[in-house]
Amino acid sequence: MNEALPLLELEGLTKRFGGLAAVNNVSFKVQEGSISGLIGPNGAGKTTIFNLITGVYKVTEGRILFQGKPIHDQEPYKIACGGVTRTFQNIRLFKNLSVFDNVYTACHRSAHYNLFESVFRLPNYWKEEKILKEKARSLLAIMGLEDRQDINANNLPYGLQRRLEITRALALDPKLLLLDEPAAGMNPDETEHLMKIIGEVRRMFNLSVLVIEHHMDLIMGICNHIHVLNFGCTLADGTAESVANDPKVVEAYLGAEEETK
Amino acid sequence: MDQFLQQLVNGLSIGSIYALMAVGYSLVYSIMNFSNFAHGSVIMLGAYFGFFALTSFGMPFTVAFFVAFFGSAAVAVLLERLAYKPLRDRRAPFLYFIITAMGASIFIDNSVIATIGPTPKTFPTDLLPAFLQGDPLEWGALSVGRIDIAIFVVAVISLALLILFIDFTKLGKAIQATAYNMKASALMGINPNFVIILVFAIGGGLAGIAGVLYGMKYQVFPQMSAITLKSFIAAVFGGLGSLQGALLGSLLLALIETFVSGYLSTQYRDLFAFLILIAMLVVRPSGIMGKVAEDKA
Amino acid sequence: MDYIQGIAVLIGINLIAVLGLSILTGFTGLFSFGHGGFMAIGAYVSAIVSSRLDLPHPIAFPLAILAGALSAALISVFIGKLTLNLKGDYFCIATMGFGEAVRIILNNVNYVGGARGWANLPQFTTWWIVLGLCIVCVVVTWNLINSRQGRNLVAVREEELAAQMAGVDVFRSKMVALIVSAALAGIAGALMANYIQFLRPTMFNMAKSTDLTIMVIFGGLGSISGTIAGTILLVSLPEVFRNFAQWRLVIYGLAVIVIMVGRPQGIMGGVELTPSGIRKIFAARRAKAKLDAELKAAEQGEVA
Repeated sequence: MNEALPLLELEGLTKRFGGLAAVNNVSFKVQEGSISGLIGPNGAGKTTIFNLITGVYKVTEGRILFQGKPIHDQEPYKIACGGVTRTFQNIRLFKNLSVFDNVYTACHRSAHYNLFESVFRLPNYWKEEKILKEKARSLLAIMGLEDRQDINANNLPYGLQRRLEITRALALDPKLLLLDEPAAGMNPDETEHLMKIIGEVRRMFNLSVLVIEHHMDLIMGICNHIHVLNFGCTLADGTAESVANDPKVVEAYLGAEEETK
Repeated sequence: MDQFLQQLVNGLSIGSIYALMAVGYSLVYSIMNFSNFAHGSVIMLGAYFGFFALTSFGMPFTVAFFVAFFGSAAVAVLLERLAYKPLRDRRAPFLYFIITAMGASIFIDNSVIATIGPTPKTFPTDLLPAFLQGDPLEWGALSVGRIDIAIFVVAVISLALLILFIDFTKLGKAIQATAYNMKASALMGINPNFVIILVFAIGGGLAGIAGVLYGMKYQVFPQMSAITLKSFIAAVFGGLGSLQGALLGSLLLALIETFVSGYLSTQYRDLFAFLILIAMLVVRPSGIMGKVAEDKA
Repeated sequence: MDYIQGIAVLIGINLIAVLGLSILTGFTGLFSFGHGGFMAIGAYVSAIVSSRLDLPHPIAFPLAILAGALSAALISVFIGKLTLNLKGDYFCIATMGFGEAVRIILNNVNYVGGARGWANLPQFTTWWIVLGLCIVCVVVTWNLINSRQGRNLVAVREEELAAQMAGVDVFRSKMVALIVSAALAGIAGALMANYIQFLRPTMFNMAKSTDLTIMVIFGGLGSISGTIAGTILLVSLPEVFRNFAQWRLVIYGLAVIVIMVGRPQGIMGGVELTPSGIRKIFAARRAKAKLDAELKAAEQGEVA
């Protein structure tokens, strides 16, 4: 792994809600082109970190650097436009819109026509709308959702909803994709399939991925680098093997080793 | 100085009414994180309940208050069960609740217009207790209307009872817990449904008393539901979701209004409420006592 | 014939304001209690420009309408900047206060007639002007909604947080919706002033604001054709039910509750009465049926 400028860097990140530190002095790096994992027991602060990275929460202490530049005081939509997109633990699709419209809406950044051009239907509008439609269609095709594109998002089965959320996140041409428990509620087959998709997406779109997951087979299977959280603090950080064998991690997840009789 | 004291006294009277309305509104807001925009209609119905209890049904004065309290409480709970709960159950967006509240208040207000009629009703003085009839009390240059005294007393008693209830009874603590975190309290064995009903009932009941007091001070008419705007402004002024904030905001709002009314002009009194709202939004949207909190995603 | 044309003009004037509210509430999910206030601003500014300033005839009215729309839009910027960054309740309360404030101010300004009203305004609004402006406004609304800016509005309505994460500037989108809706209300007010030729502040109270919102709801949130249908229905209905005038609003209020609890999509069901809109429904049904069939086959394949 080259130690070039990390794509994402958290420096001494702390987030306090009142008296409670949900995230406490966490630091780690995500290298370009990697798939990194963020794991830890429930309540460890993983989604809070995602919310901090994407600007939903304001940082109490510390910095977040994306491509070397601080983003922690930027507006959430600017961070998304800058190349960091995400999916949510509880799926947040545009439920009353069709599958196509969910992605089509998110493609808005690939067009630049302004309000005036919209209202008066100037040439730019027509030209760029075509580009948007094509982009949405191709994204859906790549992700295997093309023949579902007319269905209402909330009529999709669970697994496809998760896939749609990822597709939507890809519409902004991100450089860093944050996936919050993408395999939640999936059986082993679906999880396997998801792993393949994540790997392909990374290759095809030349991006980096940071995944929060509880499914250990997914994490161990695809992550180059893992960061373990517990009670908002860093517990371990390293490759999959080193983390799996770290006694502190084993203890946090499985409890201390029992005395065998 | 005398003018000043006089305005102070006037302000306390209307402030008491605002306080009852604002606390009722804030109570529901603190639990449900939602504004009951039909609050005004509950206030208005309370006034009518009290009025008819006193006049058509010949009940004693204090009983009329209880009728207003329980009548409004019942209306508020009905509103919750029939209009809001179905939306809550299917996790409808925030917008749907406001629209439904609007529909409910249109329904209630116009039902009253269509049945009882739009002409304002005045509380007949001869049906009021003896000490409320008669000339205002005088202390030097200060003139205090008897009804104003009654308003202040009733409000203080009601709010004191509320505070005692919330701080010292088991149910009250359950309400506090649910306001803090509904899911956690549910896990602790507190039935959120029951707390919701209780809170709507109390909020509605306080609104009803406010309605009767307002009706006594001025008149009872269907469009008085618009007064609820003052309670919203008072609540925002003091800090949305905070009961002490609602109290403080109401008193301050009423005092400012009264001083403007006394020293400047009565015409612009209501306009000042809006200006106070704007000022708060510019300077400190969380209100005087509000916490500058972030929403959890 | 005149009678029907009169109703048609009223439908047209209301439609312009309701289109604005459709954008704000139906497509962006923001609720305003005070759009009567924006109509009032449009009406009174238009009245001033068309009757107090001595402008040559052909340009007086267009200028008046423009002035009305711009004034309303400008003031909406002020309200929006203060409240659209906060939780939804604040915007609602602020619009309620705003509507009342406008009414109180107008009540006390004698230059525009005060509480007693302002009569003998010039009759400039004709059926053709209303029809023309209606068509323009429908087209503008349609073009706005079916564009990336319009899709962003819907995203804000559906899932504000996800919209942000999808790069949508939520605050800006809300502002656009508010400003456009205020401008449209202003235009409607201007047309009304120079049609009824009489203005009084109570014409624009909260009852007017809620009337407009009810038209959006009946037609269905998120459908322009629904908005048109709802407006036509609710403006013509009072004429039909003149005898039961008092109960009309009672029924509307109840209907609103029933609609929100039972069928929030309103008359049109969130659907547009256009070829593409109808095609969309059938495509959705077909795709869903196909999906269900495949899922069923997969299940049976597993069982076998």
